[in-house]
Amino acid sequence: MAEQDITQASQRVFSLNLGPQHPSTHGVLRVLLDLDGEYIVKADPVIGYGHRGHEKMGENRQYKQFLPNTSRMDYLSGMLFNHGFVLAVEKLVGIEVPERAKYIRVIASELNRISSHLLWFGTYLLDLGGFTPFLYTFDDREQILDILDSVSGSRLTYSYCRFGGVTSDIDSKFIDMTRAFLKRMESRWTDYDKLVSKNIIFIHRTRGVGVIDRELARQYGVTGPNLRACGVGFDVRRSEPYEVYDRLDFEVPTGSKGDALDRYLVRFSEMQQSCRIIDQALEHLPGGEFIAKKVPQKLAPPKGELYFAFESARGLCAYYLVSDGGPDPYRCHIRVPSFGNLNVLNDVLPGTLVADSISILGSIDVVIPEIDR
Amino acid sequence: MKAKEMERVMLLMFPDAPLERDETGLTGAQWSIIVPASSIRDAAKAFDGAGFFLESLTALDFEDTFELVYHFNYYEPGSRVVVRAPCGHDQVPPSICDVYRGAIWLEREVHDFFGIKFSGNPDMRPLLLPEDADYHPLRKTFGKVSAYHKRKMIYG
Repeated sequence: MAEQDITQASQRVFSLNLGPQHPSTHGVLRVLLDLDGEYIVKADPVIGYGHRGHEKMGENRQYKQFLPNTSRMDYLSGMLFNHGFVLAVEKLVGIEVPERAKYIRVIASELNRISSHLLWFGTYLLDLGGFTPFLYTFDDREQILDILDSVSGSRLTYSYCRFGGVTSDIDSKFIDMTRAFLKRMESRWTDYDKLVSKNIIFIHRTRGVGVIDRELARQYGVTGPNLRACGVGFDVRRSEPYEVYDRLDFEVPTGSKGDALDRYLVRFSEMQQSCRIIDQALEHLPGGEFIAKKVPQKLAPPKGELYFAFESARGLCAYYLVSDGGPDPYRCHIRVPSFGNLNVLNDVLPGTLVADSISILGSIDVVIPEIDR
Repeated sequence: MKAKEMERVMLLMFPDAPLERDETGLTGAQWSIIVPASSIRDAAKAFDGAGFFLESLTALDFEDTFELVYHFNYYEPGSRVVVRAPCGHDQVPPSICDVYRGAIWLEREVHDFFGIKFSGNPDMRPLLLPEDADYHPLRKTFGKVSAYHKRKMIYG
């Protein structure tokens, strides 16, 4: 593969295959790198190893049967994908959701967002060579998995949301565990801040590395924390509020330069904001039903189409459903945030060092099976 | 506000194109417009100039035609608009990858799933399917499907 012209030493290009089995690629990603010495000349991400055909599956089964698939696309934020699909179908069919269920879903979703960010936090630091934070964050993440496990019965692929509500009501044990988690995290943020955010080695590995500016982000449709890191305060929870997000008080953290450090800082504050959301949602949690009484067994959506966007842990995610009036969708397209976030690497990687490519890849936080679908 | 601005621009560019406003709020977009597949580049350039980003690109397979569906969005509430381009089963629509660089992958994905080739896209290798794939799984002629309709059956 390597193209070598020995007469011109400076023109020598060496091809390197990064992945598909590489500890830093989180899922199965292969990046074909063309190198000039330690510098990347061209990067070609190769994806599709985890393609399962979720869109086709969506088309040939009923809406309800597709529900378990949704939490398996992005397995790190399964609750959010599940939540989004349920919201999309409820909007299409016109199902009223009880207030309590809305709050429960928001609490569960935000817990999942923190767990997803914590996993990213730990593994990113691991990629950069810091082993200790990984052990801390996984300890914290385990608390969340226990909380969600207690109410949904699973640790990753939840399928906790149902059309019209959730599968089971949260009890005082769930609330106590969540409150204890929020209390625990208060001191943890300070620890992480001291351990990582102010760590000089970490700062040198991330500052000015892999800059994605506003224009580049727009060209590739980058969304989520990666977009907010370059100063655009775009969050679907704000711009198109769903559930009860318009009633909750939270900030949308933004960065300024759009480098790996900014992306880290944005996600770091986002976890704290999610804690604020959960705290408020627990405060205002109303009584009543946790699932709508009358949800038809056979859904009868009208003819036409629906596009529903929500904020997953990685950015703007959307379900595009086209209905022919039958029990299964005519077309089920999922717009996934990691697609744009990984696509941008085509432009970000050239000109950087190989060692930085690991830092950049970690900092954009992609989940490959979500792109592969 | 941006969506309103673009509505005027689009109507100037395509005076005869059917423009629909969404009353139900189901489509998640302010309005949608149908343009010929051959003019999709002009439309994309207008959106690019106005600072929109290409949120999603996909296709629909109908018995009589394919339809390319472009979702453009801006970083403000209520800015999403849809540009639809009917594209015959044998037609080769122009690529917009020189307008939006991210479109290379999006078009590759559509090519994977539907077999629609985009003229001007320098890279039409399979993106998600194996490199030797000669099938297009989201076509309604592939695998298990529950229905295959004409476009007007759904959109009237």
